[in-house]
Amino acid sequence: MIADRQATAQFVASRDIRKIEAADKYTAMAISGSAARGIQFIRIAQLSFEHYEKMTSSILSLEGKANYLSPIVQENNLSSPLAVVPMLAGYDINHNVGRIFEYDFAGGCYERSDFNVIGSGTQFAEGALRLGFKPDMELESALELAALALYEAGDNDPSTGGPDFVRNIFPIMVTLTKDGFQELDSETVGERFRRINDRRAQSRGIAGGELR
Amino acid sequence: MSGSFYVNPEQLVNDKAQFAQKGIARGKSIVGAIYDKGVLLVGENTSASLNKISEIYDRIAFAGVGKYNEFDRLREGGVRWADNTGYVYSREDVDARALANFYAQHIGDVFSGDFKPLEVEILVAQLGNGVRPTKIYRIAYEGTISDEPHFAVVGGEADEVKRRFAQGDGAIVDLTKTLKNAVVALAGPDRTLAAEDLEVGILEDKGSRRTFERLSDNHVRELLA
Repeated sequence: MIADRQATAQFVASRDIRKIEAADKYTAMAISGSAARGIQFIRIAQLSFEHYEKMTSSILSLEGKANYLSPIVQENNLSSPLAVVPMLAGYDINHNVGRIFEYDFAGGCYERSDFNVIGSGTQFAEGALRLGFKPDMELESALELAALALYEAGDNDPSTGGPDFVRNIFPIMVTLTKDGFQELDSETVGERFRRINDRRAQSRGIAGGELR
Repeated sequence: MSGSFYVNPEQLVNDKAQFAQKGIARGKSIVGAIYDKGVLLVGENTSASLNKISEIYDRIAFAGVGKYNEFDRLREGGVRWADNTGYVYSREDVDARALANFYAQHIGDVFSGDFKPLEVEILVAQLGNGVRPTKIYRIAYEGTISDEPHFAVVGGEADEVKRRFAQGDGAIVDLTKTLKNAVVALAGPDRTLAAEDLEVGILEDKGSRRTFERLSDNHVRELLA
């Protein structure tokens, strides 16, 4: 998973907000829409998943976690202008597979077999992903494709932040594997974006061809 | 004509205490002990799924002896209290002393107010950090709370187990030694306890937020070897 760091009002409200957090050891949650409500969603998810685990001495299934969020999204979005669309992804330890769950505005929860994008820059990131996505990609190609997709969104959508080389603030990248939630360190992410940026500079901002 | 007869409160309290003690005496003991890197909770339990020792919060663990349904209800109440406090305020505001008081008040209220006292004794253990100390609190069936310096024992043979455990020099040692001492104290002179007979939980900092860890039979076997 990857997310930029910008919170946008009419202006840049924050340059270093975190839009992806671990919901528990094997699950990550990303948010788009209202930051206030989104962060609250993450806290509720973290609380509830751990609470379930301690109360029952067993870990909630990934599908259970995904379904749990549905009514929360529905209740929030249909009763308030502060809408949130989250994304839940995790490693399913019962079935040994990574899974992604998409939500619509009304709280509908759908499992995706390829990829999912949320937020204002969706159309640009989705475009890049549609062209670059292959099933059964290796981790490295997935990371690179995700970074390129985010770079595209940051380049074209004013509400999506790109890599910030001035302040050294870079997107958050995480992986979910059988070892659980792992966040890539900011330096590695920064280097990846610097390479993409250099290639773009060489091609004078044109994304196509070998230089992407 | 029906009505309530006068009963001497002292008699009532004594009867209730005797009743609770009898219930608790049927159960096996649990030892809670501080070791050099954390807190150990160990008890006899042949069931691998009905736990007596469990996680309450990031740095707090629970152990109960006596009637399973009664102490499990207390455990659930503790998890609910801790998760709620941590959610409403902050994770660092969840404190074992406050939880132990919450338990003591509840158990005390039941003892004096309800028809039947709770037949349980519990331990609340906390792994310290910069803000809070490493502690073991023991709460008895009538709501008495005690703050135990290095180790505490609850259960049927608590006094004997305590005496046997205290025969060591009382210094804080590593997990292996502490576990061995505790198991010897639990077993007594005529028995030996195998890993399968034990339930072991620890609180130790290993880099993650949640410090509670349930030790597997294999792990316990290695430590006892």
